Amino acid sequence: MTRPLAILFAWTMALGAALFLLAPLMVIAAASFSPTPVFDLPVGGASLRWYARIGQMDGFWPALSLSLQIAALSTALALALGTLAAIAIAQGRLPGAEAIGTFLVSPLMMPGLVLGIALLQYFRAMGFSAAWSALLLAHLVVTLPYVARTMIAGLSRFDFTLVEAARTLGCTYPGAILKVMVPALAPSFLTAGLFAFLASFDNYPVSIFLTDVRTKTLPIKMLQYIEEAPDPTLAALSTLILGATVILLVASDRLVGLHRMAGTGQ
Amino acid sequence: MSQEPIDAASHLVVRQASKRYGATTVLDRVDLAIRRGELVTLLGPSGCGKTTLLRLIAGLALPDAGTVAIAGRDVTRVPPHRRNVGVVFQNYALFPHLSVAGNVAFGLTVRRRPKADIARAVDKALALVHLDHLAARPISALSGGQQQRVALARALAVEPDVLLFDEALSALDRKLREEMQGEMRRILRDINATAIFVTHDQDEALTMSDRVAVMNGGRIEQLAEPRLIYQRPASLFTLNFVGLSTRISGTVVACDGGIVQVDTKVGRLAATGRFLAGSQVVVATRPEHLRPAAGATGNAVSGRVRAVVFQGSRSLVEVGAGGETLLAELPGQEAALLAPDAEIRLAWPVSETFAFPAPEMAA
Ligand SMILES: Nc1ncnc2c1ncn2[C@@H]1O[C@H](COP(=O)(O)OP(=O)(O)OP(=O)(O)O)[C@@H](O)[C@H]1O
Ligand SMILES: [Mg+2]
Repeated sequence: MTRPLAILFAWTMALGAALFLLAPLMVIAAASFSPTPVFDLPVGGASLRWYARIGQMDGFWPALSLSLQIAALSTALALALGTLAAIAIAQGRLPGAEAIGTFLVSPLMMPGLVLGIALLQYFRAMGFSAAWSALLLAHLVVTLPYVARTMIAGLSRFDFTLVEAARTLGCTYPGAILKVMVPALAPSFLTAGLFAFLASFDNYPVSIFLTDVRTKTLPIKMLQYIEEAPDPTLAALSTLILGATVILLVASDRLVGLHRMAGTGQ
Repeated sequence: MSQEPIDAASHLVVRQASKRYGATTVLDRVDLAIRRGELVTLLGPSGCGKTTLLRLIAGLALPDAGTVAIAGRDVTRVPPHRRNVGVVFQNYALFPHLSVAGNVAFGLTVRRRPKADIARAVDKALALVHLDHLAARPISALSGGQQQRVALARALAVEPDVLLFDEALSALDRKLREEMQGEMRRILRDINATAIFVTHDQDEALTMSDRVAVMNGGRIEQLAEPRLIYQRPASLFTLNFVGLSTRISGTVVACDGGIVQVDTKVGRLAATGRFLAGSQVVVATRPEHLRPAAGATGNAVSGRVRAVVFQGSRSLVEVGAGGETLLAELPGQEAALLAPDAEIRLAWPVSETFAFPAPEMAA
């Protein structure tokens, strides 16, 4: 194949893949503006009526608030614990550091359903029945691997001569850590937090085993709702969540640069 | 051999500094005295302790014994942030989250200088390294040579008493390195900085420095001007490490007035040195002293041409004689006439021939 043809081919494939990935999202977004109560494309004029109905959904606000609480808290805890663990592991003086690192990350490779059932059994056996706390603990198990993985990678790439350079330039040791190590790890920190938060916020398979009648997270509530009354309200809600995620990503990109977050840049 | 008198005018003085890591002695009673504004290179093989010595001077490591003094002040126990020693690290260690200007301003910001002063100092430092046009760039968007200059500007901006360079040029390609050598020399002269430059590139050491310290196994073998290091090496190690040489081992048969007569496999040779008769020695000279000659005075050896290595205006001729190898550097036209395996007689003056104690046989 000649070079221009190859380039054309590559671009076609890339665009095709992007389209394939984005098409469902675009359809959902389009359907959310549908004027009729079926999932339909808004051909005869757009309407915002489904957006107005989101707030009136039965049990929407408690579910949203629960999901946000659990996601925020589990992310914060995972960031603290995961970072400390990553420091211990990345410094390499811990015997079996690598095994511990793999162990911390292992829940990522486990199907959520298995994790959910296992945690349910475990909490039952312990006689632990508070749904809220059980959810938080379970989500900590879900979010910790994201933080541990990202922070271990970030720290292992961190060049400790930067700290020495800062010291020769007039920083005390704690000052050098604060001025050099913390900002250099900020992208990792942000990435870890972002992934952890999203992983918790849209987790369904683990949460489903640990909720009770009063304690339902948003994804569970949404699935329940679609079984009861499938109308474009859910499409509207999904579009809002999508929008919020995009805003979050763009803000992070502005802050530290997505290429640095993805670890692909220099 | 490094027992230089330590004069009061010295700006940086390291005295009897030792450092061990576990069972290995990395620095062994090192003495080093450097005048203000002088550029000294530390030249030595990998692992001889160059970086460790710099770290002691910068305060990033503590000596087990000995002292470090800067401008008459004993700083042995002073932490790095209160030493005012600038370091340019081998990998530059630039702060990735700051721009070029941010990196250069770092030391001044830490010192809480007024904003206007910082801006002025940053401009000045960047102008010195010809990077004023890149102040706003992120570090990741710089070439290796530019990063190196930012690292230099960052170290210069705080006006350090002493500047240390750890193989600062080794990551650059040859052409850029040579350019930077000249630049650095100019900049260091301009600001009259006392500087130590670590390298294991002998050309860099010889061209850049006021004096060269040849290090080996945690000791400084010789500290002298580049010309002396090359022409009057104090030890076999220095002779080997810096430049090319012909080395022939033999036994001293007579010693008279600083000239020894040595019996070797290629006949009797005379050399400067003082040894007892019967000592095992190595007789050495530099390639440029060897000349094709019929019946010259001084040392002369006949042999056969083994190889001629073309090096531009001059050629290096390898001559085999009685199991030994002689290296002669000859002008291109002269060398061009030499056919491989041709008979040749080489002669060189006794005054350029040196005898060193033979290295002890490995037990
Ligand atoms: N922190 C340390 N712990 C243990 N050994 C060390 C440490 N730092 C250096 N060494 C050892 O000390 C010796 C000298 O190291 P140093 O880094 O000073 O060598 P160098 O002359 O700078 O070598 P190079 O040219 O390769 O940079 C080496 O054998 C090294 O393994
Ligand atoms: Mg080194």
